[in-house]
Amino acid sequence: MNLVSLEIDGMSCGYDSSPVLESTSFSAKEGEFIGILGPNGSGKTTLLRTISRTLKPYKGVVLLDGRDIYQMVNKDVAKQLAVVPQDSVVMFNFTALDVVLMGRNPHLNRFQFESSGDLMIARESMELTQTWHLADTPIAKVSGGQRQRIIIARALAQKPKVLLLDEPTLHLDLKSQIEILDLLRTLCRQSELVVIAVFHDFNLSARYCDKIILLCDKKIVSLGEPEEVLTKENISDVFRVEVFVKRHPITGSLYVIPLIGSRSREAKKEGFRVHLICGGGSGSSLMTRLVREGWNVTAGVLNILDTDHETAETLGIPTVSEAPFSPITSQTYEDNLRLIQKADAVIVADFLVGFGNLKNLEAVKAALEKKIPTIVVSSVPIEKRDFTKGKGEALFKELLASGAIIVGTHDGAVGAIESLRSQRLS
Amino acid sequence: MNRDELTQSHGQKVLKPQREPVRHTNSLTVGEVRYLRRYGRWKYIVLGLTALLTLVTILSLNVGFAQIPVSHIVGILVDEVPILGNLHSSSVFPEGERLIIIQIRLPRILAGILVGVSLAASGALFQGIFRNPMADPYVLGVSSGAGLGAALAIVLRVGFTFFGIDTIPIMAFIGAAGATFTVYNIARVGPRTPVVTLLLSGIAVSIFLSALVSMLQVVAGWELHKLVFWLMGGFSYAGWREVWAILPLVCLGIALTYLFARDLNILALGEEEAQHLGVDVEKSKKILILLGSLLTAAAVSISGLVGFVGLIVPHLTRMLVGPDHRILIPSSLLTGAIFLVCCDAIARVVFVPSELPVGIITALSGGPFFIYLLRKKKGTYSL
Repeated sequence: MNLVSLEIDGMSCGYDSSPVLESTSFSAKEGEFIGILGPNGSGKTTLLRTISRTLKPYKGVVLLDGRDIYQMVNKDVAKQLAVVPQDSVVMFNFTALDVVLMGRNPHLNRFQFESSGDLMIARESMELTQTWHLADTPIAKVSGGQRQRIIIARALAQKPKVLLLDEPTLHLDLKSQIEILDLLRTLCRQSELVVIAVFHDFNLSARYCDKIILLCDKKIVSLGEPEEVLTKENISDVFRVEVFVKRHPITGSLYVIPLIGSRSREAKKEGFRVHLICGGGSGSSLMTRLVREGWNVTAGVLNILDTDHETAETLGIPTVSEAPFSPITSQTYEDNLRLIQKADAVIVADFLVGFGNLKNLEAVKAALEKKIPTIVVSSVPIEKRDFTKGKGEALFKELLASGAIIVGTHDGAVGAIESLRSQRLS
Repeated sequence: MNRDELTQSHGQKVLKPQREPVRHTNSLTVGEVRYLRRYGRWKYIVLGLTALLTLVTILSLNVGFAQIPVSHIVGILVDEVPILGNLHSSSVFPEGERLIIIQIRLPRILAGILVGVSLAASGALFQGIFRNPMADPYVLGVSSGAGLGAALAIVLRVGFTFFGIDTIPIMAFIGAAGATFTVYNIARVGPRTPVVTLLLSGIAVSIFLSALVSMLQVVAGWELHKLVFWLMGGFSYAGWREVWAILPLVCLGIALTYLFARDLNILALGEEEAQHLGVDVEKSKKILILLGSLLTAAAVSISGLVGFVGLIVPHLTRMLVGPDHRILIPSSLLTGAIFLVCCDAIARVVFVPSELPVGIITALSGGPFFIYLLRKKKGTYSL
């Protein structure tokens, strides 16, 4: 049980004189599902090619069950190691079953024809990938997704111990992606197969892999369980994108969402500070947009566990926080006023008003009294989002009466602070 | 076996594969047995084509200036078989007829069969290695190499014989091997020979060698007629000596090629994938290219440049029997033999008493037929 079946030790490989990977080492035990992630050109495919005996490394070894694969005969490697390439083009009119039966080649000698036993294995593999009904269809006539399943069936027909896949779900729709990955994980567990797959999708890899290898700049940057590898810091360093990593409440696995398109934010809007009053998720997207556009943003008062609070925390925005599910206390209200005073403008998102956060509207009133320009986003009429028996509505109308600028959209709000800023500059 | 039958026989399993766990039975279903029995069907294809070749051969023996009845032909042939021949008196048929059949027509037809077999087999083999249905011995420059060798022998009138074989076949061998070697080395990138560079260097070398042959035609002088006639392709000079000279080579070449039939199938997936399925791609490719050159040189040395057989016959056969090289190679070579024997028979009769080079007939019949197939199968047949 759990023997090491594949070991890569101190391997350097690449094309001609330019190395793609240097001194790479890792090992895979029976029944492990390993994902390889990395930006384009980071050597994911090259790593697979080296493990599959296609690209000889200049240094180091690839050991399959303790034997150096570059010392083994092709056929012996193929008995234990199968490869599913990114894209398979089959010339001539071979049927799907013909192609799957080719997977039996390593087990046949030059003088043998496929036996009924080989045919049974081919059928089993095709049933597992749900392609048996295509057995007699020319492979050129099936869709990309079906072809991928057939190629996976061919790899399974090899009865390998190690299965390498280069982006196995590239051509598949969502349902097929899940089906194929579920199948691979089941095989991995039941037949103690080592599965090593290149992924492009963080979320799929987090959901299915036992271990993830993160490649960048010719080496393994991080290797371990998804929680250890898929951190905000790692992804931001390797992919140069800021992301949001959380455990998904339904699937229980990690999910990664890119937050800001690129790490190179637009030029800072120097000396102009915007305070955002929001809650319940009403301000998250505006908050993200303001940060991306380079505004100096603060926020408050937000309850801990509130979506907007999580967003503010992820973006690193100075925030006045209140305890979870608790009404705003006078203490936090005062803190909020202090932040508002430092701001050059206040934006009020169209949050739902309840007795707990009524104080946020009062803070807006205070801001207006101190002549701080205030922009109110109101895409949903206040009557529909007031749960304070009219108190909130009355307060809101007071705000409008005392000079708050009302806008219908985020674009309107951003436009308003843009013009405030240019007035300030001139 | 067609697709509907197979699907029907497994209809239920196909409809609900998730609900039903995979069965691990030891028995095969009807569809699977049918699939296995395709090997049985292969036997009938080979037997049928062999019977057709025999028939075509006998009919072709009947074609010519001298009228010899089919019954005489069969009798004369039976006489030649060691045991059967002793069963009746051998003086039943006129000696002239026997001479025409055994010494003139039979070796010529056998030469046609051997050339057809070699060209079709090497065509199938090259198309397989290069995953390209347009590949044939001409594309690799093998034919041009053989042609240049033979043309040199004709023009320089190197009149010696070597182990009883004329200089023409020997020079053709040298030319073919030289061209293949050159092309292979130009195309090689490190330890690998990518198909694209191989095809491109094949075309380049082929054009270069053809230019040399054209140059030879200009300086040929008195030998021009012989050279031009030989280049057009034909069996006018083919006798028993030529047949015996190439027979062992052709048999050996084909037997070895057949051992690589499954490798050729897997090469259809591409070289890298073939390697992942346990095929030693570089080794197989080297051996197969060598075998293809051997077969081509054997053909060119006795018939000159007979075009289109290596291209059209495997192509046509693939449409009929499918892409599996284990049936494609045997049926291709039989079809090649049938095709060439027919073409030679036509070449002998259209302008009696003089005859056309067979290469003209193969090109005239092969070209339009090929275009017809392409048009007819367009969209439904994937190359």
